[in-house]
Amino acid sequence: MTITSAQPDRFEIWRERLSGSVASITITFIIVMAVGLLWVGPRFVSTSNIGIIGSFLVVPLIVGACAGFALLAGVVDLSIGSMVGFASALFAIQIAGGMDPWIAAPLTLLACVAMGAINALAIVHFGADAIAATLGMLTALRGMTWVITGIGGASGAIFAFHPGLFGMANSRVLGLPVLFLLAIVLSLIAAGVVTKTRLGRHVQAVGGDDKAAARAGIPVARVRTFALLLSAFGAGVAGIVFVAQLGSAARATGFGLEFQVYAALMIGGYSILRGGVGNPVGGMLGLLVVAGVSNIIELKAISPYYTNIIVGALLLGAVLLDRLRGGDPYE
Amino acid sequence: MGHKTYGAATSAGALAFGLVLGFGAPAAAQDDGFTLGMMVGGNPCCEWMKSQGDVARALAEARGWNYMELSNNNDPATALRNAQILVQEGADAAIQFNGQPSSNPAIAQVMNAAGVPIVTYDIAQEGMYFVGIDNLGAGIAGGEGLGALVRDEWDCNPDLVVSAEGAAAGIVNEWRTGGMRTGLRNICPEIPDERWVSFESQGDAAVGLPAARDLLAAHPEAVRIAVVGLNDGGVLSLIQAAEQLGRADEVMGWGQDGAFITGDNVNPALKGSVFYFLESYAVNAIRDVIEPIAAGDAPPVRWEAGDPASQVQGCPVTAEEPATVPDMEERVRLLLEAPAGTTAYDLFCPNR
Repeated sequence: MTITSAQPDRFEIWRERLSGSVASITITFIIVMAVGLLWVGPRFVSTSNIGIIGSFLVVPLIVGACAGFALLAGVVDLSIGSMVGFASALFAIQIAGGMDPWIAAPLTLLACVAMGAINALAIVHFGADAIAATLGMLTALRGMTWVITGIGGASGAIFAFHPGLFGMANSRVLGLPVLFLLAIVLSLIAAGVVTKTRLGRHVQAVGGDDKAAARAGIPVARVRTFALLLSAFGAGVAGIVFVAQLGSAARATGFGLEFQVYAALMIGGYSILRGGVGNPVGGMLGLLVVAGVSNIIELKAISPYYTNIIVGALLLGAVLLDRLRGGDPYE
Repeated sequence: MGHKTYGAATSAGALAFGLVLGFGAPAAAQDDGFTLGMMVGGNPCCEWMKSQGDVARALAEARGWNYMELSNNNDPATALRNAQILVQEGADAAIQFNGQPSSNPAIAQVMNAAGVPIVTYDIAQEGMYFVGIDNLGAGIAGGEGLGALVRDEWDCNPDLVVSAEGAAAGIVNEWRTGGMRTGLRNICPEIPDERWVSFESQGDAAVGLPAARDLLAAHPEAVRIAVVGLNDGGVLSLIQAAEQLGRADEVMGWGQDGAFITGDNVNPALKGSVFYFLESYAVNAIRDVIEPIAAGDAPPVRWEAGDPASQVQGCPVTAEEPATVPDMEERVRLLLEAPAGTTAYDLFCPNR
């Protein structure tokens, strides 16, 4: 009798644990790891392979950690991919002109934050639709990137190899890229801010119900402005990292990155249209899951044309899981 | 909060578990036989990008080699990651088409450091074997083809000469469109400078359409319009814009690459093109570079476009001539049935 009464409690505890937003992506992540280990073998989790995946993930991780705040605050920022391209072009043209990276980097970040401020002005202070406003910024930044890269010559690229930057961007600790480890730490710090601080709770509250948040005395406009500035700042940092890693910037840099990042964030539990939902750890795991799936396909020499099908299926699965665990229906 | 804390702890644990497992695990490589890695361009614009991989795969498998294909997704960072994966997986040689060559110096560094020889198509990079078309020569040939038509039909007096650019292709765009303008001037040197205009087509008929419409709107008086371009798609964007505006009666275009000059629905204003037979590049790369490497007799790395490791021959054709040229799918099939080393130029060029 005692046993039978204890079983439902334990079941209930596990059901609750597994229904959390981060729990479902954690399970997906573990499944991907297991599939990779069983199908590809130990080299799937070799330091070399994780290093390759990690190097590639630095930019999306930084962008995702910062743009996630905008999503949480209920203002999707579609300009992040173009912002990365803009930042990379601006940073590269300064480096190519012989400027010290330590001067070029803050100037680049300042320009990106200024662009983010324009987003914030349009959305927060003039009440523009976030999708429309940031779509406009996406287009404008893409144009600016083309103008800047045009200065670099006919190749459509700016070659800005800097040995010090390149060495820093590609340095490793225990076989893993330092920048990847830092990007992981950044995601964990973001998660800490979201879940443990008053600022994080304010961001979630504003995204969840801005009117209720305002009634509770939360400065909605200030919180959303902060989120949009942070999103732009993160994209700026990512653009600089991109140049440091590749030694160049191109017109295509950042093209489509917004879809790559937001797809992964949604797989990780965020919602594009519903603020207040998601956790940076979930977003990080979403990016790792997508990268892990792509890597399995690559290492098994399966046609790369299947990758998008699988990522799309994962995204649909994440949406379904979100509904099953009680997320709001699409309104 | 409890859920999130638990989830975060679990995920951090899972990540740590994975990383711990990885330490010490070897980055195992394919060690049985010769492995050819292929990095396809990955731009969804063009059937030929996929066909380049299909032909390389078939030729590699016919030789008993291992074959690993990755897509660059038209993204420079992905291309660099792919190069790292090929090195990790023990590729003995690699081929790439990288439409975003800004990462080529980094890729060359990775491959050269690992001692993996790499062939690159059409966009030259120091440290990589160059296999490709003579873009400037192909451009001049196409321009002279269109010039002959402009001379015969318009007495070298067009209202406008439009160049459909694709700046993202970098120097390749400069060579092709610049070559076409040079070729046209060779035949019709008297066309005044103010009649030469250009627009950004991005090498795609649909993408370039709005810019092409804008250009035509800015030149309402132009009737006889000659069009050159980076490729057939770019030229078609201007032709289709003229059709939308009811101004296509006297438009003559001449493209590059031959992508839209075969089949049953060739646009009548597309008067000619230059076939590159892009699907066939792997024949050149494997015959002239990869096979010698596999045999232990690596050729010297000739990386400059002017002194290529293997030259692909362009095939200028008028719109009437490609009727005998099969479509891409059929060309790939026939190419793979042909004796080893036979190129699509050998099989299909009407003017060879």
